[in-house]
Amino acid sequence: MTAVVSDRQALAYIGGQATDARVNVEIQTDDGMYLNIGPQHPATHGTLRIIARLDGEQVISADPVPGYMHRGYEKLTEVRTYPQVTTLVNRIDWLGSFANEVPFILAAEQLMGVEAPPRAQMIRTILFELSRIANIILFLGDMGVQLGAVTPVFYAFRDREHVLNQIESATGGRFHPNYDRIGGLKDDLPKGWLAETAATMVKVQGFCDELDDLLVGNPIFTQRCRGVGIIPTDVAMAYGLSGANLRASGVDWDLRRDAESPLMWNKADWKVITHPDGDSFARYWVRLQEVRESAKIVEQLCGQVPAGPIMAKVPRIIKVPEGEAYVGTENPLG
Amino acid sequence: MGLVESGKMPQPLTKLLNLSRKYSLWVYQWGLACCAIEMGAAFASPRYDVMRLGVIPFPASPRQADLVVISGTVTDKMAPAIRRLYEQMPDPKYVISMGSCANCGGPYWDSYSVTKGIDQIIPVDIYVPGCPPRPEALLEGIVMLQQRIGNEDMAARWRGEATDIGTTAGANRGVHDD
Amino acid sequence: MTDTAVVPDAPIDAPIDAARQAMLEEFTAALGDGFVASHITPGKDLMVRVTNQSWAEAGRVARDVLGCTFFSFLAGLDWMPSPYGKGEDDPTAEPVARDLTIKQGYTGGDTRMQVFARVVNPETKMALTLKVDVADDDPRVGSWVNVYAGANWHERECWEMYGIVFDGHGDLRKLYLPGDFEGFPLRKDFPLVARIVKPWPGIVDVEPMPGGGNDEEESE
Repeated sequence: MTAVVSDRQALAYIGGQATDARVNVEIQTDDGMYLNIGPQHPATHGTLRIIARLDGEQVISADPVPGYMHRGYEKLTEVRTYPQVTTLVNRIDWLGSFANEVPFILAAEQLMGVEAPPRAQMIRTILFELSRIANIILFLGDMGVQLGAVTPVFYAFRDREHVLNQIESATGGRFHPNYDRIGGLKDDLPKGWLAETAATMVKVQGFCDELDDLLVGNPIFTQRCRGVGIIPTDVAMAYGLSGANLRASGVDWDLRRDAESPLMWNKADWKVITHPDGDSFARYWVRLQEVRESAKIVEQLCGQVPAGPIMAKVPRIIKVPEGEAYVGTENPLG
Repeated sequence: MGLVESGKMPQPLTKLLNLSRKYSLWVYQWGLACCAIEMGAAFASPRYDVMRLGVIPFPASPRQADLVVISGTVTDKMAPAIRRLYEQMPDPKYVISMGSCANCGGPYWDSYSVTKGIDQIIPVDIYVPGCPPRPEALLEGIVMLQQRIGNEDMAARWRGEATDIGTTAGANRGVHDD
Repeated sequence: MTDTAVVPDAPIDAPIDAARQAMLEEFTAALGDGFVASHITPGKDLMVRVTNQSWAEAGRVARDVLGCTFFSFLAGLDWMPSPYGKGEDDPTAEPVARDLTIKQGYTGGDTRMQVFARVVNPETKMALTLKVDVADDDPRVGSWVNVYAGANWHERECWEMYGIVFDGHGDLRKLYLPGDFEGFPLRKDFPLVARIVKPWPGIVDVEPMPGGGNDEEESE
């Protein structure tokens, strides 16, 4: 018995076969297809555009095109006064902003020959570490999203709120605090801030433990990260890779411990974490441990803040003498 | 619907359609810089949950989105991409400009590479000021947008007339007096 | 920044930085003729200036002889004071005569623009800053891509912002700016047009410093 097939049914059948055929066969590309990843893409944080050349489904070359967020900071600082520049540099690394104010202020203080009082330096260190924690917590959550695990990012935002609460109660801004001034800080801390901050660190440690359960022990995560994106040590050095990425390639270098700085990291007992593989998993793991160490630093320093003035004697109009100063700090993004 | 085109929509029907539209906005988040983090806190954080307003932040592409929130600094290099994004969205579409960089150039108003506000490129419905605006401020902007959508004249929009979307007059007043 | 005194040399009783002194001697011995001037900020930094022709060689010396394998950055410097004044000048006041003589910083120099780079020795954690003059009429200098791979993008940025050509780079194209951008933004004579069209009006308010501010200096 021959069935009479309508035109519509025939087309549907052909369409179904074609879909199957597409699924089973790798994408055929002759010469390499150019795929534009970005500039706006959920995975490209901060608008990076990658022009990837594909052969089938393999990426054979990738040309990153930065510059979609180039705002011209160097030129803008030429036309601003020193206190105005503090608001500007806050926004360079917008996840943990206090850390960006510090090298600029320290360089200006170095040129002016001003030293901030110890209370200010200690509070600066605490806020620096808080901004590092806020920054890396977001990274830890987002790395999950890039690989398909959506839950950690909600935990990350929730726990970031605790840290941002603390920063906000001291400085008035959740991020972009604009709290550092040449010679010290803008205001003193509110009452009870130190005790609350130490208590918040317990929550941060809890978050790190949750992530250990969720991601680090997860076989899918490790399969997608281990052995991927290995950066050998000499390549890292030649390209000037720094921060946690360098420590994930096995180099024991942390400017908080190794460079002389007026900030008070040496008053706390903490470790520098490195990892010998240079792969994605190493970079993730190093940052996770760094959050734990930062939480330890904050807890210890909160108990050691000396009393005293918050601001050194500086003239009302800041005039920094000519000169050149270089200050390197260990910022959360590297 | 013939009713919309001919402009003879009965009032309750307009209200119903506007109600369903405003409580089912799909937001495409064009997160560029620091405001993107506050937008993420508003959308993804359990504290300032935006989904309780009916706004879902997960469209797969701009072609499925009703609302775009542009948060962060717009540089001249990025501007053509934003224009193309706006043109890909189907009507009726709304734009919220979040943060002072998107409103008017913000702290980089004198930079050589920053576009001084996205209203130079695309029409904006709601401006949310701040640097960065708190997540609650963004939520207020979205609520204000919803009030305006509720008062919108659908026939005029269908005909393609360039009208401001609605007003907040007659809607639920919070602390605003406009 | 209106103090006109050039930074004085370190006073006689300042601590001598022996480690940096030793680094400097090693460097000059290896580079020989290319070395021009140096400056040590005790405890903080060591800067050297080399001739234009020996720039690439200086990089090689820093990496191989001094062991500075970590490439920190490479950038340009434009020493000309801005002809548009400082952004905080009162736009309603009379424009003051500005001193437009070019003064270079530490280790001196003869040209308006310079290229400077910083490399670090990861074992001793000591850094070396190298500077080189580039000619005013035809700014070019040798490229460091064969010495430090990371110099690739830094040189592209330096070319894009200052117009300094790096011989031997091979791929100088725009990094940050859109393709049709004209001009070299970080040169001092590149104006910020927004400020010329509308000068910044807010110079009158100066926030008083916390915890004091007893100086009776007038606001500008």
